[in-house]
Order: sequence, then C-alpha cells, then structure tokens
Amino acid sequence: MAITGMSALSACGRGVEPLFEAAVTGAPAFAPVTRFDTGRYRASSGAEHPGSRSLAEELTACVDEACTAAKLTVAQRAATPLLMACHPDPAFVRMPADRQAGRSAAGDAVELAESAGLGGGVRVYTSACVAGSTAVADAAALVAAGRYERLVVAAGYLLDEDHFALFDAGRSLSKEGSLRAFAADRSGLLLGDAVACVVVESAASAAGRGAQIQAELAGWGRAGDAHHVSQPHPEGVGMTRAIVAALRRAGLAPSDIGYVNAHGTGTRASDAAEAVALHRALGPHGHEVPVSSTKTVHGHTLEAAGVLELTLVVRALQARRLPVNAGVPDADPELGLTLVGETPTPRTRHALSLNAAFGGANTALVVSA
Amino acid sequence: MNTAEAVSRAASAVRVQAVWPGPGESGDPPAVPGFIESTFPALVCAVADRCLTVRHCTPPGPVPHGDRTGVVLVSRYGDRATASAVARAVDDGTRMPSLLFFQSVPNAVAGRVAARWGLAGPIVCVSPVGDARAEGMDIADLLIADGDADEALVVLAEQGWTDGEPDRAEALLVTARAPGSRAGAEHPSKNPDVIAPPVTDRGGEPS
Repeated sequence: MAITGMSALSACGRGVEPLFEAAVTGAPAFAPVTRFDTGRYRASSGAEHPGSRSLAEELTACVDEACTAAKLTVAQRAATPLLMACHPDPAFVRMPADRQAGRSAAGDAVELAESAGLGGGVRVYTSACVAGSTAVADAAALVAAGRYERLVVAAGYLLDEDHFALFDAGRSLSKEGSLRAFAADRSGLLLGDAVACVVVESAASAAGRGAQIQAELAGWGRAGDAHHVSQPHPEGVGMTRAIVAALRRAGLAPSDIGYVNAHGTGTRASDAAEAVALHRALGPHGHEVPVSSTKTVHGHTLEAAGVLELTLVVRALQARRLPVNAGVPDADPELGLTLVGETPTPRTRHALSLNAAFGGANTALVVSA
Repeated sequence: MNTAEAVSRAASAVRVQAVWPGPGESGDPPAVPGFIESTFPALVCAVADRCLTVRHCTPPGPVPHGDRTGVVLVSRYGDRATASAVARAVDDGTRMPSLLFFQSVPNAVAGRVAARWGLAGPIVCVSPVGDARAEGMDIADLLIADGDADEALVVLAEQGWTDGEPDRAEALLVTARAPGSRAGAEHPSKNPDVIAPPVTDRGGEPS
C-alpha cells in the first residue's frame, strides 16, 4: 500500500515540516492553555495551535492539501471515499434537544467529504485514541482487498474544555507542563491539537497515474486486550498481537525495524504495558531498537493521534532523521527501552507506529520508505 | 461504505442475533457497575450478554476462540447522556465525576464487553453514515477477511430521544461464511442461525 499524499496541522505549526523539525530537535509545543480558563483544574498546560479556524475548516484545508499533494484530479477525488476519525462536536449536546437529532460525527464527515470533493462513501471512526490508526489500517485492508484504488483518511481533534476536564478528573494530565513518556518520573499526559490526513493508495494505482509514493504502508495489525474498561493489560497482550500481525503482513522480522514511534502517553500503566509488548513482540531487538514518543512534543491528540504520528514517521524515514523522546534521554530502567535521545539515522527503512486506547484496543502500523 | 455490492459479496454471516428490548419488554436494562449517569453502557452490555449467552452460555468465552473475536460498536449518536453530563459539569462549574472520564468514549463499554467475555480481537467503534446494520456487518466482514479476527460481535445501539422512547440495541455475532455457501440477495443479517430469546433471566446473570 502506498501513501501518496499527506498533510498535518499541530501546535508546532501548519504542515508536516514544522512538526517534523520540532520532533527531531525535541522542541515541545506545550504552554498554558489559553482557549479556556484552567483555573479550576489540577493541570493547566496543553499544545494549542494559535489559529482561530474551526475544526471543520481545518479538516477541509488539510484534506485538500493532502489530495493536492497526491495530485488527485477532480474526477479521482470524486471516486475516493473518506475514512474519518473524530468524536462528536461538543457543541451538539449543548444544542436544544429538538436540534440535536441529525447532528453527529457522521454528519460532519459527510459535509467534509462534500466540501473536499470526495465521493464513494464515508466512514467515521470514533474508537478514541486508536480511531485514526484503525482507519488507516482499514484503508490499507480495503485497498489490499481490491475494493478501492485509494481512500483518504482524515482525523482531527482541537483541545477543548470537555476533554480537558475529563482527563483532569481522571488524574491523567501532567501537572508539570511536560509529557515525560517512558521516564521513571512520568506523571501523565498533556492534550494537543491535531488535524492530519493521508492518501492511502494501491501501488499500481499510484504508478498508473504517475503519482509520487511518499512511503509504503507495509503492514498493519489490530487486536484487543480483553482486560479492562480503561487500563491496558499489564503484559501488553493486545499490543503484542497487533505488532506481530503487522510484521507478518509486512513480511518483516523484528530486527528489520529501525524505529518505533510509540504510543507513549507518559502515564505509568500505559507506558509500562507498551514496553512489555515491545519486548514480547520484538524479542531481544526490543531492547535495542530506537523508540520515541512524539507526544512529548505535540501532545496526545486523541482520535487524531494515529494519523498525525503516521505523517511524522513517513517524514522521518524520508529524511533519515529520527524524532527524539523530548526531554527524556534515558528510559525508566524498569522498561528496558532505548530512547531516541539525539537525532540518529535509522538503521533500516522500516518503522513501527503504535497506538492504544481505552477498552484495550491496540493498533500497529509498519511504514517503509 | 456499505453498498449492496459489499453486502452481497460478504464472506461472513450472522450466527446469533439478539435485540433489546425484546417484544413486550420495557424499562431500562440492568445498570452496570462502574458506569453512571447514562443508560448507554447498560444497553450495550445487556444486548451483548443476550447474544453471547446463546453462544457461550456463561462468560468468558472459550479461549483461545475469544482471542480471535472482535467487537464492533455502531452508534450514530453515541452516548449522548454521558456527553450531556460532561457538558453540564463543565458549564455549571461543578466537580467532574471521575467515572465519566472512564466511560467517555465508546471503547470503554466495548472493552467492558470484551473483558467480560474474553474477546481479544480488534475493537472498532463507528458512527454510521448510512444503514447501521450494513455498516457494522461490513466492518466485521473486513476484519474477518483481512485476518485480524475469525468472528466479531457487532452491537448497534442508540439511546431514545424522548422520555417515552426506549433505548434500542441489536447484537449480531458474525463469523466467516461456510465454504461453498454464498450471500443471497438479502442482507445476511436477515438470516441468523439463532435468534436469542427475547427475555433473558437477568436474575441468573452469569458473573
């Protein structure tokens, strides 16, 4: 499967390039939240993009940019379905009851597809922090099965008070103003803005129309923990099986992986479970492979995480520079991981991008470039 | 994304089907410990239990069979009651109950079903654009055909819009179609092998 176009917006700026530069230089985008008053919450920081456009406007611009990068014609766009990852607009439940009916994430996605000139169907993933990565995996599976030549996968989340208040109540937010993934003193996550889009296409289709292939989506896997409503399985059972499935599809051995873009939220249980999964899935290579969580720079972007982080992985493999685990050069000794502390060159052209979510949902993507 | 073509090509079929409420049933499904303010989690759990009890009698399902069973939760509007409770707490400046955090995404209750029944396949939640049942079947079919699952529990759930309108849910246990059989003109979910009894003795709920 080929990725022929991509775009992103984050607190690091508009486009993949400012995000990539921040990620490889380890420049976190966290600051005191300005979008609403955080005075009554435990935490106060997040990663906000300074722009004032709505999520719908940013998504439309992002999809258009990715389709333009993929050099899709009007006719090709009209035959390309949209897979969208998002949650319902918090404004919906604040509407009078008689106006709420008909307002859904699905409705927003249909409007996005129309405004971006996309046709051929819409599907909306609401699977929390694996929504974006599940949409990418499904897009690859749909193309692999020959059902579509290409699909557009878009995802978006802009930091809002409802989710800030929820994560704060769940004591999941860091009070330190930094997200210290895999650190011995990690204390929680910080939320961040993201809008991201990729065009997933068969290699034959890309070659047939002369499109430049940005990267290969070589493998994908999705699996569950069957363990808990919100906690990951401490042995990382679902993530292990997702990684193994992704490597099998890609036809790669663990030692072929030169970089892991981890889910790495900076929460104690999640980082620990992910580390165990890496060791179980990769064996001895799990101790050696360079790992980083780019959430240390752009924050946790919820439904958009999988797509935003995929664009970073593609750019890192293209540039042969790895994103660092910002602010945390050495991992918690109990985790046994080798973090990316500077900007080394990846030893291979293959990388893993991992995501996990409440309910024990896990995804793994293998990217090659 | 859920065309008639996709349905007729489906490689999977419905083995068990259950609904909530069944004929003659009224009232909310039994509350689920750990979830508050909303009937949505109980709705999903009740219809999932009703469906999976036919298949496995008592939870969890047999391992390793469950390792290959996915959970697909399809809801156009999701858990509106939880979202409303969150909005009220924010807008009124009152304390946000921490339990709302843990139930604020559809994965949470899907994960509760998965943990209770030992279903360790993929968890996918969607807000359907078209026909909810066709979309759920299409996703299950993709997971099975793609190889990350051998079967999937598809739950369709929507809360009522008015006080008098009941919440409604349907659960479909979908497995790979037997070799040699083919999807007919009808949607495969119209022809389940087993329809779960409409009334479950919740007093004897397996634990």
